[in-house]
Amino acid sequence: MTRPAGSTAELGVPVNPIATVARKEWLDVRRDSRWRALVVVTLLLMLASLATGLAQIRRLEAEHRAAEQGDRRAWTAQGAKNPHSAAHFGQYAFKPAGPLALADPGVDAYAGNAAYLEAHKQNEVQFRAARDATLAARMGRLTPAFVLQTVMPLMALLLGFSAFSGEREKGTLPQLLSLGVRPTHLLLGKGLAGAGVLLGLLALACVGLAAGLRAIPSGHEAQAGDGLRTAGLFLAYALYLVGFLALALAVSARAPSSRSALVGLLGFWLVNTFVAPRLATDVVDEALPLPTAQAFRDAVAADKRALFGHDETHPGFVAFRDRVLARYGVKRVEDLPVSFRGLSLREDDEAGYRIFDRHFGRLEAEIERQDALRSLPGFLFPMLALQPVSMAMAGTDNRHHHHFVRAAEAHRRAIQTAASQDLIDHARNGDESYVAPASLWDAIPAFHYERPGAAWAWRGQAANLASLAAWSSACCLLAWAAARRPRLS
Amino acid sequence: MLEADSLTKDYPGGVRALDSLDLKVPPGEVFCLLGPNGAGKTTTVNLFLGFVEPTAGRALVCGVDSRLDPLAARRKLAYIPENVMLYGKLTGLENLRYFSDLATGYRLDRGELLVLLDRAGFPVEEADRPVSGYSKGMRQKVGIAVALAKRAEALLLDEPTSGLDPLAANEFARLIETLRGEGMAILMVTHDLFLAQQCGVRVGIMRSGRLVRTLETVATDHLGLERAYLEASRVAEAS
Repeated sequence: MTRPAGSTAELGVPVNPIATVARKEWLDVRRDSRWRALVVVTLLLMLASLATGLAQIRRLEAEHRAAEQGDRRAWTAQGAKNPHSAAHFGQYAFKPAGPLALADPGVDAYAGNAAYLEAHKQNEVQFRAARDATLAARMGRLTPAFVLQTVMPLMALLLGFSAFSGEREKGTLPQLLSLGVRPTHLLLGKGLAGAGVLLGLLALACVGLAAGLRAIPSGHEAQAGDGLRTAGLFLAYALYLVGFLALALAVSARAPSSRSALVGLLGFWLVNTFVAPRLATDVVDEALPLPTAQAFRDAVAADKRALFGHDETHPGFVAFRDRVLARYGVKRVEDLPVSFRGLSLREDDEAGYRIFDRHFGRLEAEIERQDALRSLPGFLFPMLALQPVSMAMAGTDNRHHHHFVRAAEAHRRAIQTAASQDLIDHARNGDESYVAPASLWDAIPAFHYERPGAAWAWRGQAANLASLAAWSSACCLLAWAAARRPRLS
Repeated sequence: MLEADSLTKDYPGGVRALDSLDLKVPPGEVFCLLGPNGAGKTTTVNLFLGFVEPTAGRALVCGVDSRLDPLAARRKLAYIPENVMLYGKLTGLENLRYFSDLATGYRLDRGELLVLLDRAGFPVEEADRPVSGYSKGMRQKVGIAVALAKRAEALLLDEPTSGLDPLAANEFARLIETLRGEGMAILMVTHDLFLAQQCGVRVGIMRSGRLVRTLETVATDHLGLERAYLEASRVAEAS
């Protein structure tokens, strides 16, 4: 920019053209009552979604806590009892709602939140909130993720769709360009102002989330990794919103009119927000179908039929007994120095673990493959990449659910092992009346679930974050290319 | 200095909007381009601004080819369109500050901006009012103030007084005369023969993309100019 040469425009303070444009755009937004109203409505939506989410989490936590305490009381109050009967009596493992579920409840309502841990069986997780919900809940719930994924991109489009076309229609664009301003400086200034509005609202959402986390009952207090998880949420949503803003600026620079720019952009928003996620789900279901619940249970049961369980006439049982007798060098079970019943229960359980690992492992892998395939077009329709990142950072995606399932199963196995070991060590062969002391139940710890760390969540979302970054960068490049030669007529 | 050198512009469909225009506007001269709609006047302005690329020839602003380096060319000139458009939610002063910041790369203080508005004939007591209530004449004066802030070497005016009342048009003409006196090379497109006669040093008459006649205003009066305009138009039609 040339320095004014004459006396009238005596030397002033140098200004950055990008900052100048951004400041003016910011002033325009601040003085526009429609924008003020839109910002207030968006903030109210976020506040309402945080408040309802917080109420739900608190209610769920209270229910879990009460159920956990009741379950523990029942477990420890069993009194003197045969350990295997106690193992059949079972326990519940409750999945704690991670505090960041406040931001995105993810699949929790569909995946369930409590597993019944009992002898010989790895049960599926139960108590799916979606199953108990009213029909109205099928319309979807107001969550911060919903506001950020659907309402905020609309705001980005509204901020950008007339950035260039509107100036052209008003007649200010030729005047601006005649000043010798680089069109790309206009782009950057407008982009900076728009991004300031969007990222400011996003930051406010994060502050609201942090405040919400503090209001969640202690016991599920925030972990050190929650900051990193929140940073992941901020990054993913920032890429998403900046991409939408850049796309709007690109279209605005080249569209014949603001109206046509808005129509085109709304079309993309509609496809990205509502069509692509459903279509991707249908395609994935067709391409990688999962077994039905009944087929899955039947397959597990079919494999388990090969195990002897409590059937002492089962060939497997007979073979195992012969192996044990040979190992101890005795001819009769009664002569064994340890409880054969305990040994046989342990043997049967361990064989069962391999079956459960195979079936549940395969199912989990198939679900995670489905998720990966569903998010594959995320570089074109960013919602498909954003949703999994949002759920993963909130700790409410399938991968986190599977982590809980594995932790609950590990606890179930610990109970089985403790019960069987007590039998092995203390019960006498042939004496069916053995009971373990009540202190054994206290010695078996309550289920405590440790959520995986933030790095684990980040690692699982590297591909989706790369997709979001690629989409956002492509939109920025598109905007740069379009703004270099904006349409003037 | 504004210079058109065999400047030609064809639009898609084979429409020749400008045909080998040769023109020089030296510093301190107002050159008025007259002609009916579609004569190629606005195309000429847009070529100097680098908004459209010539099919042939060159449009030079102080020696800078506006096709090869449109940014540099634009930085040397100021442009006032038929309707100076401003941002309705900003005041006149804020509009001037915005345009002058972008034009010069320097921030002028309030006092300096008010001086510019005053020099442009703008009622400075209105400077802090949102421009949504400004008349066309007031907006044109803000446009002049921007040109003053920029201290451009050349000025392009595209029918700047169209729609202004005679008083405002006369005031505008005096401002142009002032700018010419400061050494600006001014190319003004207009339909207004009185304005051309009043402000112009030379007047060019265009028809169908060609400059068909050039007159010096000192050598003619308004009636003479009108006669020349009509004759030139008829000659062009005949040819």
